[in-house]
Amino acid sequence: MNNGNHKIEEFFCRNMEQIKNPIIKSFLANAKNLYLVEKAILYPTDCNMKMVDETFQSHYIKVQKIKYVSNLIYFYSLDFDKKRRRLHDRFLLIVDEGLTGTGIARNDERIEEGLLDMVEDEQLFQSLKNLTDKQLLILEMIYVKDCSIKAIAETLQTTPQNISNLHRKALKKLHQMLIKEED
Amino acid sequence: MERENNYNEESLLFIENFSPKIKQCLHQTSYQEREDLEQEIKLKIIEKLATKEFINTPSFWDFFT
Repeated sequence: MNNGNHKIEEFFCRNMEQIKNPIIKSFLANAKNLYLVEKAILYPTDCNMKMVDETFQSHYIKVQKIKYVSNLIYFYSLDFDKKRRRLHDRFLLIVDEGLTGTGIARNDERIEEGLLDMVEDEQLFQSLKNLTDKQLLILEMIYVKDCSIKAIAETLQTTPQNISNLHRKALKKLHQMLIKEED
Repeated sequence: MERENNYNEESLLFIENFSPKIKQCLHQTSYQEREDLEQEIKLKIIEKLATKEFINTPSFWDFFT
């Protein structure tokens, strides 16, 4: 037995570094696992080695699962809130059409009209007039004809990125002009 | 069938043990959404534990060469 203790001690001394590894440490913290390992060191038969390996692997998987679930909870809640905020920002609850059937009829007329014909606000009308023809055309296609950026890019024979940029610039310009007028 | 039972028991155990962490993470979102999020997280844990394969486990003796 003394000889056995010596053997075990020697084994652990030799592998000091590995023992410090958290996964090994937590595995050996369990008395049952430690006993299995000691048995395998004293009698390194295939059966004993395999026993240790099997218990170690189930331990390893358990740790992996805990880690995974912990991360899952954290990142899922982050994502969840991100998604919720995005939806909230994008789809505001606004009644933009009449509650009665007239809304639909008005929609049909609109298709024939240009953007400038539809604007009722005097300030906005003036600001729109200050935009370049191309910007006006893009705004019209986006907001009146409901075209996708890609479709517009195809008709104007340019890239979607360009359309997107022009669109953004136009909105920015409008915004600045409107703010200036308010001041 | 037995496998399924095992999964369910395991998932329950995980959910139980992780409930403080779940509660803590609920603060990520506004309070109206917290109940929804809690349910979603639990659902996700059950789903993931049932489908995800944990592989690449090293052998114990690989550490001692």
